Amino acid sequence: MSGADTALLDVRGVSRSFWTGGLLSRRRIDAVKDVSFTLTDARPEIFTIIGESGSGKSTLARMILNGMNPTSGSIAFGGEELTTIRKTRDRMRFMSRVQPIFQNPFESFNPLSKVDRYLTMTARNFTEARSRAETDDASDRALRKVGLSLAEVKDRFPHELSGGQLQRIAIARALIPGPRLIVADEPVSMVDASLRVAIVNLFKDLRDELKVSIIYITHDLATAYYISDRIIIMRKGEVVESGDARAVLDNPQHPYSILLKDSVLSPDVPDDDEPKTIERDRAARSH
Amino acid sequence: MTLHQLNNHLNPAPEALPASPALRVDGLKAYYQTRWFGITREVRAVDDITLRIEHDEIYGIAGESSSGKSSLIKTIAGAIRPPLNVVGGTVNFDFGTRKVDLYTLKPEERTAIRWKHLAYIMQGSMSVLNPLRRVRQSFIDFAFRHMGMPMPAFLKAVEDHLLRLHLQPGVLDSYPHELSGGMRQRVVIALATVCRPGFIIADEPTTALDVVVQKSVLTMIREVQREMRASILFVTHDMAVHANLTDRLGIMYAGRLVEEGRTRDLFRNPRHPYTLHLIRSLPRIGDAEPRQGLEGTPPNLADPPPGCRFHPRCPIAMDVCRVMVPPMQALGGGHRVACHAVTEGTVQ
Ligand SMILES: Nc1ncnc2c1ncn2[C@@H]1O[C@H](COP(=O)(O)OP(=O)(O)OP(=O)(O)O)[C@@H](O)[C@H]1O
Ligand SMILES: Nc1ncnc2c1ncn2[C@@H]1O[C@H](COP(=O)(O)OP(=O)(O)O)[C@@H](O)[C@H]1O
Ligand code: SF4
Ligand SMILES: [Mg+2]
Ligand SMILES: [Mg+2]
Repeated sequence: MSGADTALLDVRGVSRSFWTGGLLSRRRIDAVKDVSFTLTDARPEIFTIIGESGSGKSTLARMILNGMNPTSGSIAFGGEELTTIRKTRDRMRFMSRVQPIFQNPFESFNPLSKVDRYLTMTARNFTEARSRAETDDASDRALRKVGLSLAEVKDRFPHELSGGQLQRIAIARALIPGPRLIVADEPVSMVDASLRVAIVNLFKDLRDELKVSIIYITHDLATAYYISDRIIIMRKGEVVESGDARAVLDNPQHPYSILLKDSVLSPDVPDDDEPKTIERDRAARSH
Repeated sequence: MTLHQLNNHLNPAPEALPASPALRVDGLKAYYQTRWFGITREVRAVDDITLRIEHDEIYGIAGESSSGKSSLIKTIAGAIRPPLNVVGGTVNFDFGTRKVDLYTLKPEERTAIRWKHLAYIMQGSMSVLNPLRRVRQSFIDFAFRHMGMPMPAFLKAVEDHLLRLHLQPGVLDSYPHELSGGMRQRVVIALATVCRPGFIIADEPTTALDVVVQKSVLTMIREVQREMRASILFVTHDMAVHANLTDRLGIMYAGRLVEEGRTRDLFRNPRHPYTLHLIRSLPRIGDAEPRQGLEGTPPNLADPPPGCRFHPRCPIAMDVCRVMVPPMQALGGGHRVACHAVTEGTVQ
């Protein structure tokens, strides 16, 4: 299934709404509204989604991972409509090719389960590894790509590891099946600047060497600029701007994109006689 | 009341601040100690840390993932449970009206102090909100007892406080899963600060937020701090937040504080090789120049390298680094660093 115009992922007019509130105050929330984009098979890329908190990024990711159906619109992976993927065997095949890295590792790991179990299960379900030695080897190799080792995480529960360690384990787990597409929801929000660079460099290598496409959801515009090919900017469920990542971030057009870029705090300290950005904002507002 | 009086009432002139700092941490050691089938395992997450935080000061901590930042601030907040134990050192608070030596207190007294004088916003703390109950109930569960006012006045105070954090009082009627990550995080910050504590301890409170909301939340935190003349201990990986918010900055590596100083000095003139690397690895919008993460892996704190813990990854490591722990050395202007090369003048 390759060829210049085969779609790896085709998202067509996808919307999703939720109902909240009690019987009398029922309210519809349009979490995702009419989103469309296509990733091609021939040209793997890092496709970045940036946007407001609550703008529907994670909801969109959940639908791409076939964990939730759209209210309207459709999604196809490798030419196959996600809604037709029902049988366990088909689901397993889909999951081996599309892997998630979930937001907030504190919430996504089961507190009662040892973390190395996630790796072992993934290796057993999605690779040839069967014996203990084989699954351990697959786990250790994946962990080393993110600066950890099996020895360090074996027999540990999630609360025994730091936020950054959990985030790295989540990334390692997603690498084990050798997926074609990785959907990474804020994968670097909890790691230090140096490791952040190491992880986004790893994403670049996956793209360039293993031809893996990556949907990178982030609040970090600087790493988005650093690694993305294309970008979409979301607000209140809608895509407000999209295009080549550097072009969009260098010269945003939509008022929300401009606000977003203007709100990024600079990693440079202001001069001694200049107030810090936070102070300046405060002063500006109180006038 | 005249406008002038009102102003004085809202912003009383700073009283002569007590001479002692708001927080003194001396030689603090806190280890995770576990025994499995007779084998003792000791993770030295906080290993001999000394620092001061002044009244009305924002002190930042940055450092490698898993270097012990959360463990350190958990220990300072008195919020530790076995297997994390304090094995040495002291934590002293001066709350103005009351001075406490935290680890001479009984555990119950420590918990009372934490609720009364400290606000502690844990990492990943969005999960402190009970998923099965409306947000209003979490406020009642956590804060009602400590505010000492009748329920209607309490709820009014909560609503006013939410408005200051740009949250509509309507969020009180929501269940946590109905709020976006950004809203949940602001609710958690509101919950922690509604009792107006004098000392705020926050672990990655803005990582889940988009940059627009992050900036407004930081501005709010700054306002609350100014108004109450509170001290803040703020942990984040986001160096831009440190550059724009904190007065002083401490850098941790492998359970130790390796450098500390005025935030401006640390950014302009980082002296420890790890700090230097950290500052240089920051990407910027408009700059796609390839950058490299640190070589090697973070040390295992159950078996840290001898001497300087950074030596296996340090580009300028010397023989002495492999055997001797570099002591913290004052460089003047409150800048301190623990590195043999700086002490011996082999690097500038
Ligand atoms: N199961 C649900 N029930 C009701 N509302 C929901 C549900 N899941 C999401 N929402 C709502 O949908 C919107 C989008 O939420 P989502 O978590 O996808 O946003 P996000 O962009 O990932 O935000 P953040 O960056 O803050 O995590 C929000 O208004 C949220 O409250
Ligand atoms: N409950 C625990 N038992 C054993 N080790 C732990 C526990 N919690 C944390 N650690 C270890 O302590 C070290 C520091 O962790 P932490 O303070 O959470 O780091 P940070 O906040 O800097 O990311 C890590 O090596 C981590 O694995
Ligand atoms: S003490 Fe030695 S190994 Fe440690 S940072 Fe300084 S030069 Fe490098
Ligand atoms: Mg999200
Ligand atoms: Mg932490």
